[in-house]
Amino acid sequence: MVAGESNRGTATRVVVLVLTVGILFALVTFFIGDFVVRGPGSLTASPATVAQGNQPAQSAFIHLETVASVDSAITFPRPDDPNPSWVSYLPTTILKVPANSVVTVQIDQEDGASGLRNPFWAKARGIVDGKFHMTYFDDQGNPQEGDFSAIADPATAAHTFAIPDLGVFVPLEAISDAAPAGSMNVITFSFKTGKAGVYHWQCFVPCGAGTIYGNGGPMQTLGYMAGFLIVQ
Amino acid sequence: MATASLGNGGPALQTSERQMVLPTNLLTAIILAAVAFWAGVQLGNSFGFNDGLNTGVLLGYTFGTIMFLVGLGFANYPLARLFGWPISPQSAGDEHRGVWRYLNLSLDHKVIGVQYLVAMLTAMLFGGIGAMLIRTSLLSPDQTLVPPDKYLVLVSMHSVMMIFVASAAIVGPFGNFFVPYMIGTNRMAFPRLEALSFWLVPPAIVILLASPLFGGFPTGWTGYAPLSEQAGQGFDSYIVGFTLIGLALCVSGVNMLTTVISLRAPGMTWTRLPIFVWGVFSASILGTFAAPILASALIMQGLDRSMNTSFFISSNGGSPYLWENLFWFFGHPEVYIFILPAFGIVMELIPHFARKPLWGYRTAVVGLLGVTLLSWFVWQHHLFVSGIAPALRPFYMLSTEMISIPTGIVFLVAFGTLWRAKISMTVPMLFCLGFLFNFLIGGLSGVYLSDVPSDVTLHGSYFSMAHFHFTIVGGEIFAIIAAIYYWFPKMTGRMLNMTLGKIHFWWMMIAFNLAFMPLFAAGILDMPRRVSTYAPSLQSLNDWVSFWAYLLFASMLLFAVNVIWSWFFNPKVAPADPWHVRSIEWQLPTPLPRRNFERIPTFTSGPYDYGNPNPRPAVDLGPEPAPA
Amino acid sequence: MIRPNRTHAIRLLIAWAVLSVIGVVIALQLRLPPGDQSQQAVDESWLLQLMTVISTPVFVGVVLFVLYSAFVFRQRRGALDDGPPSHGNFRVQVAWVAITSVIVFIMAGIGISELASTSNGTDFASSNQPTLATSGSVGTTEAHALQVQVIAQQWYFTYRYADYSGVESLHLVLPVNANVVFHITSTDVLHGFWAYQLGVKADANPGVDNITYLTTMRTGSFTVRCAELCGIWHGNMSDTDGSVVSQADFATWVANLQQTDSDVTLPPYAPFYFPSPRAKGT
Repeated sequence: MVAGESNRGTATRVVVLVLTVGILFALVTFFIGDFVVRGPGSLTASPATVAQGNQPAQSAFIHLETVASVDSAITFPRPDDPNPSWVSYLPTTILKVPANSVVTVQIDQEDGASGLRNPFWAKARGIVDGKFHMTYFDDQGNPQEGDFSAIADPATAAHTFAIPDLGVFVPLEAISDAAPAGSMNVITFSFKTGKAGVYHWQCFVPCGAGTIYGNGGPMQTLGYMAGFLIVQ
Repeated sequence: MATASLGNGGPALQTSERQMVLPTNLLTAIILAAVAFWAGVQLGNSFGFNDGLNTGVLLGYTFGTIMFLVGLGFANYPLARLFGWPISPQSAGDEHRGVWRYLNLSLDHKVIGVQYLVAMLTAMLFGGIGAMLIRTSLLSPDQTLVPPDKYLVLVSMHSVMMIFVASAAIVGPFGNFFVPYMIGTNRMAFPRLEALSFWLVPPAIVILLASPLFGGFPTGWTGYAPLSEQAGQGFDSYIVGFTLIGLALCVSGVNMLTTVISLRAPGMTWTRLPIFVWGVFSASILGTFAAPILASALIMQGLDRSMNTSFFISSNGGSPYLWENLFWFFGHPEVYIFILPAFGIVMELIPHFARKPLWGYRTAVVGLLGVTLLSWFVWQHHLFVSGIAPALRPFYMLSTEMISIPTGIVFLVAFGTLWRAKISMTVPMLFCLGFLFNFLIGGLSGVYLSDVPSDVTLHGSYFSMAHFHFTIVGGEIFAIIAAIYYWFPKMTGRMLNMTLGKIHFWWMMIAFNLAFMPLFAAGILDMPRRVSTYAPSLQSLNDWVSFWAYLLFASMLLFAVNVIWSWFFNPKVAPADPWHVRSIEWQLPTPLPRRNFERIPTFTSGPYDYGNPNPRPAVDLGPEPAPA
Repeated sequence: MIRPNRTHAIRLLIAWAVLSVIGVVIALQLRLPPGDQSQQAVDESWLLQLMTVISTPVFVGVVLFVLYSAFVFRQRRGALDDGPPSHGNFRVQVAWVAITSVIVFIMAGIGISELASTSNGTDFASSNQPTLATSGSVGTTEAHALQVQVIAQQWYFTYRYADYSGVESLHLVLPVNANVVFHITSTDVLHGFWAYQLGVKADANPGVDNITYLTTMRTGSFTVRCAELCGIWHGNMSDTDGSVVSQADFATWVANLQQTDSDVTLPPYAPFYFPSPRAKGT
């Protein structure tokens, strides 16, 4: 083979190789990057303007909604969700709150009961005054409200809001069957944050329907029943 | 009438021009696989089990793999025999030419060896990328860079992909390519099984890579139930992919065992067999008999996930212990499948580069077979803290400690060979010496783990993780790389660049040790495995590890550049015997002729007869074969 | 220069002996975890140290041999000489296998005897009981070790004290100088209860009562982590608020717990709790 010919052949091969590798690299990076980086957006606590029930004013405020399925959301619809039939906390589960302050959380609870596997979680812990304020519907469908330190029957828990590393555990009572359609239990409580950090929070009711022991699916996916509390 | 040869140099078959209806090649295979996957998903979902749609995915993967194999042409020969059709070159698996030959079903063991080499290196690349993402995530204990659900998917992908690589990366490329040469035969006993064992691997890799599209799976490579049964459709990739690899192990094992037992040339007695062949042989014993257990256990998981059985659900009468025991009964022989061929490589290369006979050959064989036997009796050491019957623990502690005796024999034989030798510090030899160092650390840390009281602190921590990375990466991967540098000239006709090779060795050795040594400390300091967060005091340690891990990956990229450049861009053909050694494959010309031996050779001595003032030629090849 | 075998052997032996002694001395200075907060931790630390001491000469020997060979037994530049045609030495091979076997059996024997000793292990012999703790009142008699149930759930450990009407707590508090029997179970998937400073680790299996023993020796805090992959928050399933306190403090704490948690009705204490495998209408 003449030297000039082999150089040209080699040059072509190098160009083809670099292009192929470059395209493959770009594809792989895109695939991986999309997988790793894509996740739920975050919700920053807003400053509270008035006292909520028996909760103090001048605390950071977070408003969440728990639903039996994403497509039945009322307050915070999430139309393009990839899993519209999953239970979920809405609008998101990545919460940003300020450090060294009191955070007030209001949860609009619209889901039915799954029941606590461990009735220990029926008692609220780690919240201001040890009590949460709840508006709910009794067995006759009449609206009631009150301050509670625990839910009466562990079998009627729909979800919990728990931040284990801060010692916060709050049971969320299920909506009564007798309640009118589209109604919700509103549960409000406050807890104190300390220094900055990233804490995980989760639900302790095995509410992941159709998964073994109820803890699969939404329970193990960020954006549904698992999330972060970012204290800044 | 055309004649087609069966594989490489088997008896020529009478053929006719009759072809199959469809041309069977890779394109047909991919198209049929895609269609069959879709059909399987539709069929499975239509059963209506309340099962998270796992039946569909499981059936889809299964049908897809079957039609992939049919599309490649695996069904041609069985159907031809069944219906009495004349054998065509297609059904004999030998009709393609050129590069296309390497992308299709071929019954030539040399082609299969090269196919395996490329597949293994590609899979290693994917596994390595997963590892880099894991180390990036562990740069900081807060889990916001890579969220914990994605993190577990990465851990599982990395680990399962690397397990696929480790299972087959020596027996596949080098066993298939060189065992026929080393025993003096033209073909393996079952070329179609050999081809099948390879062609099960690309579907397994693709199925595993598809798992993140279905949400991935969170269990790591051990797939413990019941966590696995909580997982979504991503876990079905694990079930089908791992079953395919298990089948490949079993099938390859049957082929290899039969070949070595039955097809040895005259004069190739058991006591003259190159130690590499012994390594492959003993691993094949384990592969043949352990893999079916894995397959059955995985099928049980599949049934639990799709047909609502309860093999592993204790509330309904099953038990997670069943999975743990079945898995580890396979899993422990599996890790010896990884390391026995690596021992074979190291004990093969050291005599050649030390120019001394293999010292204590029979002891070495006893060592390999001893490891093979004992590996069946140790699996409970993975379950020491699982709540097994306490009276079992002393027995398994003893058996696990005992397995270090035959393993130590490998070091004895290596030392005896190195003693007073004339060592050439070629790149393969450097990697063998690196193996000895790394495997020493891996093995010693295994002793820590084998004693139950210390295992109580170390189980499930980064200590255990460092142990198996030292043995598998520091051990097997170093041996694989040594084998690649050594055998590359014969397999591809090109020499790898040795200067780059030396840089690669030192870079990799230093980066690997600096990356993985601190992980022993991390484990002793209370860091569990498979976690995306850790105590803040361990952050500097983790950052150090990640830094050196990136450098380790970079060294492998350097190796990849060396491989690609030397293979495709270096026009200089390698000499027939660059290492000047006595092993039979180096007595043959480069590039190798299509037919291994025109006349089956007669062996007259072992391959390690160095230092003999009147050496007999190792093999009588008869008259020189005519130029190709 | 061709040196006789003996020269090389003596050089290696001397270097090995010197380096091993240095190595062993360093190994003996190490204070290895888990520490001295419990009898089990003490035993485990001792065993880890013993293994380090034994591994040091082995490590030194192998590395020394490999490096020595790599430098001394080299091929001359550009030459292709063969080494001596030595195929083996029966006595050396037998000696090596014998010595490694002896070391292995000694190690196994030490491990087994430590496992069998009454202060360690999980129920190795049916008559096994923890060593009698010597002071205080809770858990100090053979017949009445403190029974603590560890309930692992996704993704938190809770603890029930069977001797105190099954009261349940978020954090593990134990009295010092007490024998404790852990009953570890799970309500969903596999978890691993790992109390690091106490040297206790045992898997939590659903539907299984996994028993392990502890004898506390020193007050202080300890960390509990999960040691078996259990899903997304496996790494977060850790609790740094475990503590071993004095007997009096423990009594106060338990009484307090029984009082404050009286507004929650827990199910009766049982060795394990069978959950229904699926949830919600399936």
